[in-house]
Amino acid sequence: MCPGDPKWLDVIERDLHRQFPFHEMFVSRGGHGQQDLFRVLKAYTLYRPEEGYCQAQAPIAAVLLMHMPAEQAFWCLVQICEKYLPGYYSEKLVSGRLAWDQPQAWTPSVALPGPSLMEAIQLDGEILFSLLQKVSPVAHKHLSRQKIDPLLYMTEWFMCAFSRTLPWSSVLRVWDMFFCEGVKIIFRVGLVLLKHALGSPEKVKACQGQYETIERLRSLSPKIMQEAFLVQEVVELPVTERQIEREHLIQLRRWQETRGELQCRSPPRLHGAKAILDAEPGPRPTLQPSPSIRLPPDAPFPGSKAKSKPSKQAQKEQQKQTKARGQPEEPPAPDQAMVEAAAGDAYPPQHVPPKDSAPQASAPQDSAPQVSDHHRSQESLTSQESEDTYL
Amino acid sequence: MLSPYLSTPSVVLIGESGVGKTNLLSRFTRNEFSHDSRTTIGVEFSTRTVMLGTAAVKAQIWDTAGLERYRAITSAYYRGAVGALLVFDLTKHQTYAVVERWLKELYDHAEATIVVMLVGNKSDLSQAREVPTEEARMFAENNGLLFLETSALDSTNVELAFETVLKEIFEKVSKQRQNSTRTNAITLGSAQGGQEPGSGEKRACCISL
Repeated sequence: MCPGDPKWLDVIERDLHRQFPFHEMFVSRGGHGQQDLFRVLKAYTLYRPEEGYCQAQAPIAAVLLMHMPAEQAFWCLVQICEKYLPGYYSEKLVSGRLAWDQPQAWTPSVALPGPSLMEAIQLDGEILFSLLQKVSPVAHKHLSRQKIDPLLYMTEWFMCAFSRTLPWSSVLRVWDMFFCEGVKIIFRVGLVLLKHALGSPEKVKACQGQYETIERLRSLSPKIMQEAFLVQEVVELPVTERQIEREHLIQLRRWQETRGELQCRSPPRLHGAKAILDAEPGPRPTLQPSPSIRLPPDAPFPGSKAKSKPSKQAQKEQQKQTKARGQPEEPPAPDQAMVEAAAGDAYPPQHVPPKDSAPQASAPQDSAPQVSDHHRSQESLTSQESEDTYL
Repeated sequence: MLSPYLSTPSVVLIGESGVGKTNLLSRFTRNEFSHDSRTTIGVEFSTRTVMLGTAAVKAQIWDTAGLERYRAITSAYYRGAVGALLVFDLTKHQTYAVVERWLKELYDHAEATIVVMLVGNKSDLSQAREVPTEEARMFAENNGLLFLETSALDSTNVELAFETVLKEIFEKVSKQRQNSTRTNAITLGSAQGGQEPGSGEKRACCISL
């Protein structure tokens, strides 16, 4: 067991009881949920010592742990931090790919001097605000007039992928779509919330001052966060990947003009599971079969017209989901399946990084396949319960 | 690029992660305490109106994330601040040991005239105390800071801490206003005629700090 950097361990330990404290998994101090959370977050600081731990990773990891064993949760966290939302949780990164391609060759002691950096999230704040102009000119004008920095309302939304904002059933739907389609979903959810919280003259009139506006955005009306409504709005909102990428370039240029070069060059953001799978080099090894349900290879696939799916794994998972939910016509993103697709080929053990890197040492032992069953069977229960406590 | 701080100046809560900044704020503004409050991601803020003499002062208090990672975001809010509560956990020496660094960080970004109070929080956990009161008090004195020990859990000194800082700010601001009123009266002549020097502090009105 790798000891880990005491600086990070201390901060992580201080945060363990502050993630979903009312969820049964995390309710007891030192309970299995908090233990797993500690190991996942610690593993990340060992995996990317140059990045360490960022507090917003804790709620992300906690949500993942509610749905899968710790080792899978760790790899999902890695994908989120590096592919879905690169740069959000990073601090001082040496510019360019060097740091990414050779993580071992880089230590915090050679970090460039300068302010600590959260450029990625700041940049996305500007992108969001700019996109809002088209989505809801009223809301945009209002926020603009009151000079409210997007960071004031969107930092937690984006960094925690809405896991601390929305009611539980909405969190799960948003995460399904997010894993499937990438950051576009996060932007859309943010835009929908802004549009419905501040998108009409009457609503704006009720927010006379900056405090009232921020309060409105902090305690959003349950109606607009309700699963069916929110998801419908998100699906219909015409904001595309291309628009986001274009806006990204515009804001990047503006940033460079006003503040100089970005200090933190994150790897490119990948828009969803398919983009990530396509970007992985080399032949794709078959994903490890999930131990909970095994189907004979040529078994018929009930409830679905054998659409082409990225992997067998995903198919099985989808089937499992379908059974569990009893909603065979549920659209494309069963959460478990996408989560595992999101984990990409980091999932099988042979892809655990080289000997000297840490997660092997610290990767939780209880994530052995046989535990999955147990984990899964609890899943619906815990989700349901958490939904109750959340509401 | 929008200005990162609101137009009215304000008070910031700073200090290491987990020292109880958010609970101090919720105790002061809503009289609430949570044993398992969530970590603060980025910046949050809250307001409360307090009476200072005859004036109702609307204080705007910013709660910042303690983790260094967020410094790029949170330090932007120091700029508009006229007061700060630098909080440490008196049961964790490490959170006190870095107070000097926090102070430097604050002075790097904030106005030099900012009113700062050093706050040792969690005084209810006296059996676990790691930072002696006198040590912290000495440090505060030597650095020109106000000092108090508080407990957000049992409310000890929470009101007093915020009110002391606000009072100090209010006095500073009033003095400045007096001065500037005098100057204006001279330079602008009759334009300021109706305004008596020093009347600002006597009027009962709502003032945003």
